[in-house]
Amino acid sequence: MIERALEGVRVLDLTHHISGPYCTKLLADFGAEVIKVERPGGDPARRMAPFFHDEADPEKSLVFAYLNTNKQSVTLNLKSEKGIQVLRSLVAESDVLVENFAPRVMPSFGLDFEALQQINPGLVMTSISNFGQTGPYRDYKAADIVEYALGGLMYIFGAYDREPLKHAYNQAQFKAGTDAASATLMAVYHQRLTEAGQRVDISIQEAVATGLRDVVNNFTYSGAVRRRQPNHSGDLTRMRASADGHLLPNPGIGASLDWNTLVDFLGLPELDDERFSTPTARLVNAEELGRILDEYFTKQNKYDMFHAANEKRFIFGVIQSPEEVMADPQLAARNFFVDIDHPVLGTLKYPGAPFEMSGTPWEVRAAAPTLGQHNQEVIGRRLGHTLEQLVQMRAMRII
Amino acid sequence: MPGPLEGVRIIEMGQLIAIPFAMKLLADMGAQVIRLESTGRLESYRSDSVYQNDVSGEFWNRGANFYEQNRNKLGVTLDLSKPEGLAIIKELVSVADIFSENFTPRVIKNFGLEYEDLKKIKPDIIMVSSTGYGFYGPWSNYGATGPSTEGASGLAYQTGYLGGPPVMAEIPYTDYTSGEHTVFAVMAALMHRLRTGQGQFIDISQTQATSATIPEVLMDFSANGRTGQRMGNQDAAMSPHGCYPCRGDDRWLTMAVATDDEWQAVCRVLGQDGWANDPRFEDSLSRWKNRDELDALIGPVTSPWDAHELMHELQKEGVAAGAVLDSKDLLFDPHLGERDFYEVVTHHDSTGIPPLPYAGRPWKLSKTPAVKSKAAPLMGEHNTLVLSELLGKTADEMAALEETGIIGYGPTNPRPVQRPSLDEQVRQGRMQRYETDFQEQVRRAFPG
Repeated sequence: MIERALEGVRVLDLTHHISGPYCTKLLADFGAEVIKVERPGGDPARRMAPFFHDEADPEKSLVFAYLNTNKQSVTLNLKSEKGIQVLRSLVAESDVLVENFAPRVMPSFGLDFEALQQINPGLVMTSISNFGQTGPYRDYKAADIVEYALGGLMYIFGAYDREPLKHAYNQAQFKAGTDAASATLMAVYHQRLTEAGQRVDISIQEAVATGLRDVVNNFTYSGAVRRRQPNHSGDLTRMRASADGHLLPNPGIGASLDWNTLVDFLGLPELDDERFSTPTARLVNAEELGRILDEYFTKQNKYDMFHAANEKRFIFGVIQSPEEVMADPQLAARNFFVDIDHPVLGTLKYPGAPFEMSGTPWEVRAAAPTLGQHNQEVIGRRLGHTLEQLVQMRAMRII
Repeated sequence: MPGPLEGVRIIEMGQLIAIPFAMKLLADMGAQVIRLESTGRLESYRSDSVYQNDVSGEFWNRGANFYEQNRNKLGVTLDLSKPEGLAIIKELVSVADIFSENFTPRVIKNFGLEYEDLKKIKPDIIMVSSTGYGFYGPWSNYGATGPSTEGASGLAYQTGYLGGPPVMAEIPYTDYTSGEHTVFAVMAALMHRLRTGQGQFIDISQTQATSATIPEVLMDFSANGRTGQRMGNQDAAMSPHGCYPCRGDDRWLTMAVATDDEWQAVCRVLGQDGWANDPRFEDSLSRWKNRDELDALIGPVTSPWDAHELMHELQKEGVAAGAVLDSKDLLFDPHLGERDFYEVVTHHDSTGIPPLPYAGRPWKLSKTPAVKSKAAPLMGEHNTLVLSELLGKTADEMAALEETGIIGYGPTNPRPVQRPSLDEQVRQGRMQRYETDFQEQVRRAFPG
């Protein structure tokens, strides 16, 4: 049997969309037992594109399938008394409850931290929200782009003379989910030592604002406000188009750059010239340098260049398309993509371990659950409801 | 109340961000982090972005990014090119819970500091290595920077303006993504050790951790063979969804509109009755189909607004909107202020740096909050504390270590990076502006 890092950690998962489910996925993929409580209509992420073969079906959302591996799904209507009652019995036998509703929602169900602690004093309650559980923006709405803006990452992202930009898709949500998983484990670690529970408050804005460099400290150290950087064509570390995509040359910065070695490596004798041999000269002749480099790189194959440069210990990087990522020999050698068999989606390749642990490896024990797949097992067998009671709850739209 | 990680000892052989950032977060929560540095090969964050760009004297104790990434740690210098230096690392490992590093595997192998080596010294040690592409595999010895792993992961390919080339963050973004995963991995390993008494090796690939956060891209290719376009700030379902100009130089507002009610609220706040009844924008699907047109209409209407004022007006009506905060806005953001996000840290007198606020942590734990922050160590600040008090070196042994240059208190080959003047940086466009009374502003807002 495989050793699991989080064996014996019981998580009650009230999360939806991305940040919360990524938190509980990390916990589940390393061995925690996660019961995902969905509203009767299901986690809204079940309606999120992209879908398998573009078929908009709650069991075919690919992001949902990725985010919910190794979890059990039960449906519960938390707007009904019986639903709340079932939830309370689940709280009693959990170590952790994770939720990412707007801050006013859990109290509206009568499930604020104080109430949950009365049921289970050792409970760790982790809440992820846009702006945290306190403060003037507590109830403000957000989307990933708003978190980029208010988290300080957007102003310094993109072209100097255009509107600020953000990363594609949902990076802020993933950051917060990862942070929530870490903080949850810190609290569980403490719980295992002392039996005490506590409240963990994660703000997505703060998850973004903790991951910056040279932003706030530019102001506190020099009074300067950093802008999106101008990117002149002679900049040696500028991304260049290659014959087959894009390449990131990084020939060494500042004092560690040896111009002759670089010129030899590139095989560009025309750069062996005093117009380019010093940093100052390269700044003066940036445009000409840029023209020569652009012309040169456009003729190169990015992977040939990437490998040749790294053999010489120049830190070159390569921009990979999704197709190239999935064919990447490094990721292949590390078995990053794994086949997962899902009852509706069949077998597909998924991104796998975000990192490797030698003693307690990442593993998939189960594909994402279908909606309410584990009602009988969890609410029936585990909480001791009879089949009749389950049928009744279903008729009353509680499950 | 101490942090939850009280009693956990970590040896850090880190550089720049990936490992130092992760270990800082663990140090904040009570772990004792002993950070090893070389006097021969100065950490570049010690020589860059120094306080007020003053590179005189002990500039290596004034680097902004060094202070940012290394608070609450103990600092020890060690020359690892000498056997005595390596011997001390091994002594430290014998009394540690965790050994962390982010060099290329080649370097760690040359030092004889792989997991198998450490395990012989301390059987339950947890070792964590963070590398660009992972500790093994054909690319494992390739060096990497933030942009290169952002490129390899697939994230950069998908990011960029409509019709433009890929764009990467202007910070080492994947250092943070992988650092966040590193904290989680270490906590999972600590949980396991608590239950079983066993240590293990954690192999962080900065590329892999980042690829794990883009299922929208990789699952679509995997299941449908499709590669999406770069979408700028547009969204796959919402419109309007973008970044719009506001009053002032380089001021912007973001908004993301999901429902018809929210759209009607946008029309009301911006005073655009015509849009509210325009069939091109009547439901979310038509707004999405006509998103380019819509974006072009919105910009001129938001331009006269103050970004913060418009954010509050839209939020009052239930619309997700946020001003694009620059460095100064972020520092003085009233919401972050109310939540005590920034912590004032006092620096050693010798540095001449006044107490300054630094970003806190991405979590708040009610019962075991973080420890009170201490500034990052001066070079060699804790040599004596760690080597004599923890490892029991005698005064004679300490003197010998100093004499042979195994330990030290400054770089052997100091090469500070003098940045251009602020006027020049503004002229080059690297800085939007600077404010000469910043010290007074910071002191008033963060009296410490």
